[in-house]
Amino acid sequence: MTDPNAIENNPFKELGEIPEKKYTDGYTVDSTYITVRDGVKIAATICLPKGLSPDSKIPTVITQTRYWRAMELRIPFRWILDSMVSNAPNPEVVTSRGYALIYTDVRGTGASFGSRITPFSEEEVKDGYDIVDWIIAQPWSDGNVVSKGISYTGTTAELFARNNHQAIKAVIPGHGFWDPYTDVAFPGGCFDNAFIQLWSFLGKNLDLNNPKVFRQVMPEAWLFVKGVKPVRTDKDLQMLNKALEQHSSNQYVYDNTIEEDFRDDQLPDGSSFDDFSIFARKDEIERSNIPILAWCSWLDSGYCDAIIHRFMNLSNPQIAILGDWNHGAALPANQFFPNRTSVTPTPKDKVNAWINFFEKCIYSNGIQGKMIYYYTLVEEKWKKSEDWPPIGHSYQKWYFSENFTLTREKPENDVGDDTYNINFRATTGRNNRWWALLGFPITYENRIKVDEKLLCYTSQPFEEDTEITGQIVLCLYLTSTHEDGAIFAYFEDVDENGNITYITDGQFRLIHRKILSEDPPYKILIPYHSYKKEDSAPLIPGEITEVKFGFHATSVLIKKGHRIKIAIAGADKDTFLRYPKEGKPIITISRNKINSSYIDIPIIKKENQ
Amino acid sequence: MEELLPSLKGILKEAIEIKADALKLAISMTVKNDIDGVVAEPEEIIIMLKMYGGLREDIPMEIDIDNDAQNITLKFQSEEDFKKIEKIMEKLWDNAVDLLVQVTEGDISRIKEIPNLDD
Repeated sequence: MTDPNAIENNPFKELGEIPEKKYTDGYTVDSTYITVRDGVKIAATICLPKGLSPDSKIPTVITQTRYWRAMELRIPFRWILDSMVSNAPNPEVVTSRGYALIYTDVRGTGASFGSRITPFSEEEVKDGYDIVDWIIAQPWSDGNVVSKGISYTGTTAELFARNNHQAIKAVIPGHGFWDPYTDVAFPGGCFDNAFIQLWSFLGKNLDLNNPKVFRQVMPEAWLFVKGVKPVRTDKDLQMLNKALEQHSSNQYVYDNTIEEDFRDDQLPDGSSFDDFSIFARKDEIERSNIPILAWCSWLDSGYCDAIIHRFMNLSNPQIAILGDWNHGAALPANQFFPNRTSVTPTPKDKVNAWINFFEKCIYSNGIQGKMIYYYTLVEEKWKKSEDWPPIGHSYQKWYFSENFTLTREKPENDVGDDTYNINFRATTGRNNRWWALLGFPITYENRIKVDEKLLCYTSQPFEEDTEITGQIVLCLYLTSTHEDGAIFAYFEDVDENGNITYITDGQFRLIHRKILSEDPPYKILIPYHSYKKEDSAPLIPGEITEVKFGFHATSVLIKKGHRIKIAIAGADKDTFLRYPKEGKPIITISRNKINSSYIDIPIIKKENQ
Repeated sequence: MEELLPSLKGILKEAIEIKADALKLAISMTVKNDIDGVVAEPEEIIIMLKMYGGLREDIPMEIDIDNDAQNITLKFQSEEDFKKIEKIMEKLWDNAVDLLVQVTEGDISRIKEIPNLDD
């Protein structure tokens, strides 16, 4: 939860106050099939303000999901609750502001027909174009369409910009990726086994309308939800059953990637991860020049980096926001304030802010230029910048030194190293930034105990408050007993009493260690690893090698008297695949004048420094 | 959704009228809200009793559903069965909401007690 008293530079305040409602009588709900260019029928649920006069024309917010556009509730809840009660964005808020709201099941999911081999396929993206054509042909449409969403729906919202349809006026991707390989599936080349497996499992069961699986993984949904909602006219469920039959040929990311390692590995349809990324569609998105409001959290998977990469790489008019909540901002996630229980702003306040953004884009001059708003942990303040990295950004090296310390001085000893037997029981648990993608809370608890299993280096107390904003870079000179392996490194704050608080982390599979000098496919601020097969190489056991990689971005104030700590592991057993698959590597990290391992910390210098 | 939870018990009690007739060994539920489509399928009634009511056995009952009248009648063959369900129905809405709140707050212990439901 961001501090509700943090008013200055607060993006939710700067997006304007909540105006009076245009419609106050609630909303109507209808559903239908929209037939797209290749004959596939897309299920759509349409919410309109109740009391909309026949000659009124209003804009539309559209959200395209793969998690059911609407749910059939179990009795007795179906008897008393609107079936849209759990939908996001909230239909009551959106329609009261004078918007139509449409939710669709993307092809191959929910009650829609068709099948899918990969998410965000070209066909799925093109469906968005056809659906917008349908929307603007409706008697209530004023010809303006905007899109917003969170996570999957955030990415479908952003991909509307790629379609370059003249009716699309703005998009709001919340908690979406930029580069699915590094942001979610293979951060640092390490396979996010837990999330990808669970997400694929859930997706498969959703697509087959089988809510029984919720019992284990989302029990509150299991208690509440009977299945996907058929479209209104499908009383005998014939259409739904035909659609479900077509879903049986769907393919899922886990099945197609569990045996893969590299960015350029081909998926069954010949595509690769890059093909359904945002960055691969950069040119089309820029051509549209559609304004983008992208938002996320420092603590959400690799999606925090997605915000920064989108901001740095897309020329579209843009607002970017990075806060301190969980995936989707339903829960607070600031590790320095574990007792906070609610999120600021509230979901309704957020939706109202998003609609204020849409209003600017539809009815006035839109937004000009780019602005990123970011929340600095511990300092508990919002800041904003037209550039990334922000003004005053510079790197400060901290070297691994004797007695497991971090020092500003480079080691002068000829020899010096530390040996670590990889502990494959090391874990960040199931409430970390990766499991968070399933909507779980984010808690990195008991770091004192966790760190006992890791190789740690701690600084002296800081002599002054120091802001760290950006991506830390870790450079290790190491040897290993094995050809494969991974580094999982955690950046932590240690207070005067020895309490340890997680700030951010980075992970890296060692076979990808080659740093390329050529330009990466998009601008980055950390060493460029291609993660391609041709650039990978096994380690040579016993030979020192340089391993240099970036952490996930953060913004935090290290207070005077606090220390910083780097904790190094070789596994995170409840989340990532094990590297190597078998064996127990021993790594040795050098810390001497020839091979000086270090972390490079992005410091924001104040104007008078 | 979470903001609705505290008021759900009252809404359920207000919206659904339950009548038990010990002489006819019948329990009826009438939904006062307008329902779009069918009120319920017979198997949904059984799932509701097992999921929220703690029913652990298969009790023979006739389930009559009148979609026009939005009425569901459960008819039993024995007084013992009637009384079991009558007792469950007395606290069904409270139990359903309590369970939902408990699970939403992260306590899934009662979920484990629910038998496998073929839904």
